[in-house]
Amino acid sequence: MVVETDLVVVGAGPAGTSAALAAANAGLGVILIDEAREAGGQVYRAPARTLKASTKTRDRDAVVGVRLRAALDRSSVRFERGLRVWSIGERFRTDTAGPEGVRTFKAPRLIAAGGAFERTVPFPGWTLPGVMGLAAATILLKSEAMLPGRRVVIAGCGPLLAAVAAKVSGGGGDVAAVIDMASRRQWASVMLQLATRFNLLREGAGWVLGLARRRVPIHFASTIRRIDEADGLLSVEIGPVDGKGRARPGRSSLINDVDAVAVGHGLVPGVEITRLAGAAHTYDRLRGGWVPVLDAMGRTTIEGLYAAGDGCGIRGALSAATAGTLAGLAAAGDAGALDPDTLASKSEPQLKEAARLDRFSAAVSDLLALRPGQVADIAPDTVVCRCEDVRRADIDAAIADGAADVNQLKHFTRCGMGPCQGRMCGDVVGELVALHAGSREAAGAWTPRPPLRPVPLADLIGSYSYNDMPIPKPVPL
Amino acid sequence: MTTTFDLIVVGGGINGASVALFCARAGMRVALIERDQICRGASGVNAGTLTLQMTRVALIPYALEAHAMWANAPEWLGHDVGVVVCDGLSLAFTEGEEELLTYRAARRREAGAPIEIITGTEAQGIEPGLGASVRVAGWCPIDGFANAYLTGLAYRRALVEAGVALLERTIARGVDETEPFVVNTDRGPIRGRRLVIAGGVWIEPMLAWLGVTLPIKVLINQLSVTERVAPVMRTQVGIASGLLSLKQYPHGTVVIGGGWQGWGNRETGRSGIVPDSIIDNVRLACHAIPALAEARLARSWTGFEAETADVLPAVGPVPGIPEAYVCGSIHSGYTSAPYIAKLLAQCILGQEPERLLFPIDRLILQPASAATVS
Amino acid sequence: MPDRVAVRMAGYQRGATVQLIVDGRTIAAHDGEMLAAALMAAGLWRLRTSPRNGTGRGAFCLMGVCQECAIFVDGRLQQACSVEVRDGMHLELRGAP
Repeated sequence: MVVETDLVVVGAGPAGTSAALAAANAGLGVILIDEAREAGGQVYRAPARTLKASTKTRDRDAVVGVRLRAALDRSSVRFERGLRVWSIGERFRTDTAGPEGVRTFKAPRLIAAGGAFERTVPFPGWTLPGVMGLAAATILLKSEAMLPGRRVVIAGCGPLLAAVAAKVSGGGGDVAAVIDMASRRQWASVMLQLATRFNLLREGAGWVLGLARRRVPIHFASTIRRIDEADGLLSVEIGPVDGKGRARPGRSSLINDVDAVAVGHGLVPGVEITRLAGAAHTYDRLRGGWVPVLDAMGRTTIEGLYAAGDGCGIRGALSAATAGTLAGLAAAGDAGALDPDTLASKSEPQLKEAARLDRFSAAVSDLLALRPGQVADIAPDTVVCRCEDVRRADIDAAIADGAADVNQLKHFTRCGMGPCQGRMCGDVVGELVALHAGSREAAGAWTPRPPLRPVPLADLIGSYSYNDMPIPKPVPL
Repeated sequence: MTTTFDLIVVGGGINGASVALFCARAGMRVALIERDQICRGASGVNAGTLTLQMTRVALIPYALEAHAMWANAPEWLGHDVGVVVCDGLSLAFTEGEEELLTYRAARRREAGAPIEIITGTEAQGIEPGLGASVRVAGWCPIDGFANAYLTGLAYRRALVEAGVALLERTIARGVDETEPFVVNTDRGPIRGRRLVIAGGVWIEPMLAWLGVTLPIKVLINQLSVTERVAPVMRTQVGIASGLLSLKQYPHGTVVIGGGWQGWGNRETGRSGIVPDSIIDNVRLACHAIPALAEARLARSWTGFEAETADVLPAVGPVPGIPEAYVCGSIHSGYTSAPYIAKLLAQCILGQEPERLLFPIDRLILQPASAATVS
Repeated sequence: MPDRVAVRMAGYQRGATVQLIVDGRTIAAHDGEMLAAALMAAGLWRLRTSPRNGTGRGAFCLMGVCQECAIFVDGRLQQACSVEVRDGMHLELRGAP
């Protein structure tokens, strides 16, 4: 059965939800699809169904999330929850799978709002159980009210470091150390650029002061060199890095008896839908990697296909909501549901807001961007592709064997062929190939393939009778 | 480039790469022009099936020779393509399929393929993973599969060692002259005394450079692969109609194919899957091997396969143009390609080929009829 | 040696205490919480074994991307980060010791 509508929106984070609401308010029939049960994406993720705070300790993101979900409930948007999109086809046939079987949606317009995922640049020990992404730690803390461990090391880059550390520490955990790749000087320059964002600065300052009060050691311009398992606990070796992420000669030190490590090096836009649809993309280091080419309203180079949010370049949740609203308005306008004047007047304040937010987000994006020296420093024996256990040395050997782009490398090594479909390693592998190919453009990006996420065959096949299957006529003898 | 090569091969799939390899090893100076990278088209994305039970009867003798080559790839190619030699089963679930299978197996057996018809129970003895509803099966001990995505790596190394001038990421745009041949590319003209057209589905536009009209039907074959799973099967499994190929690689992934059609366009090079068709292909696979339903689909993709009017290869000299050859459209081509390319190489080297080629005169439209076609 | 576990923070009401069976062993968890988190809280960090090196792996991204937490839940391979705990779930960590 195919369900037809005016607009399909994939991804119910701030971008997708705002887009769906804007288009529905303009009169379009909208179907919003997400693999989660609740809207909100990662930043505004709903807490676990059964979790309730005894006292009112909700943070700002939690409040925004509640409002977002309430607005969605009140709207005419049809929210299809818990569905895994596995294929996006021509004129935007969207195929989903779930335990209840397959479903198909179709609309002349589609907004891709799949969000981003976290990048972790490999180092020895990053595959040990108990080492997790910084975003993963955030999800544990916010949605499950759980500390990753009693004694935790928090490492990587960006504002999430202080936020996670403050949460762990405030929740009664012991933050053994915060390891920040950025230097104090880099932070100072970001602060200057954020000077007028008083709320953000106040929140950040609150985290940092809280950490200082609890005497949490913060190591700036430092990185994790390696993690080892010792007596059932983790031992973390750290050392200094330069501005490009390269190890600097200098004393390394050990942090012992650690339960868990949260480490993240920025975010990568999830561009699988726009790439699968064949839209033009460009490499944008500041915004996290390959991003679709968009106009100011979020139109891609494919007619009827729009994109919004961190899946189009890392700008943060506030920008995502604005971009989502613009894409929703554009879809409504292009569908004829808004006349040009109304479209222009509704878009104007959003466009201004988007431009304003862009300036601020650039400062933070700079902290989160991939540091080339960090990739160049990956040791030969370090696993880069977690799914297939492909090491840096295997990748270098394949490049020496003639692999000129990431897809040829994939054939030579199985790097990126595992169940994560190359998401965890793709950005780093692109950078490794670029060291030889000369540029990220020359290194290319994985060829996009369905399914967008692994799908159990049982979910795809449902119940069927062999005799009813449309088996084509036999091949010639 | 001012060199005049002894041979220019246009198209670096398994056909072109094999011809280039054999001619270079025989002492020719060979240039191989490939728009993308070696064996990255159909040769790198096909199901790697090395079965006789989907091979056309006329091609069985060739496929038998080719199977032996694949089984010894490290010996003659010098590199591993991950070939697994195993039993092959072609299944019949219905009375109609049993009839079809029995007839076809007999014809293939006459042509030299050692296929026997066995009962469903016997088939389950050979392949414990089979579902219960198999009536009979064609069993062939000469079967197996290669790891198609390794073809490029293996051939690339062999070609480099043989001294072939590899012109990857080079687009051939036409043939400017024929005596000697001057192939017009985006990196300048390439000169050679002989020319082989081996461009897969693109042999039709390439032959048009020489004024020859040979219609090629474009098939868009879909394939799917699961993530690594615990062993669910040990044979290569197909069905009577030929519309399933199924095997589990030593590393655990299961590749599901059988020529279910996606969408695609030869001119733009774009192609993609048709979801309903993937689902039916997967249903067929799970019907054959029920434990597969537990696995997750990791990736589906498409590849372009060329088919001639009579679904037989187009391999031999180009009529009327001395020293021009074509090597393409070998149905179930991956299996037979190394051997058939070897035959063409023998012809190019002035030897008598061990077996007959597949001359293209029968497929060429004459100018008058060509006009009506276009 | 102290248990290495994720720790449920004080000051929250959680779902009813329920039991999960992991490779024959019973662990306690709360109804409705994320399965991957419940396993961490039970000290079960190692969920699978990597295919070539045979090294242990645990949940890494918790947002559906990395696939490191894919385990058999009542016979179906599912990502523990996108499954809610329900009483009596049978879990299999195949390949993990």
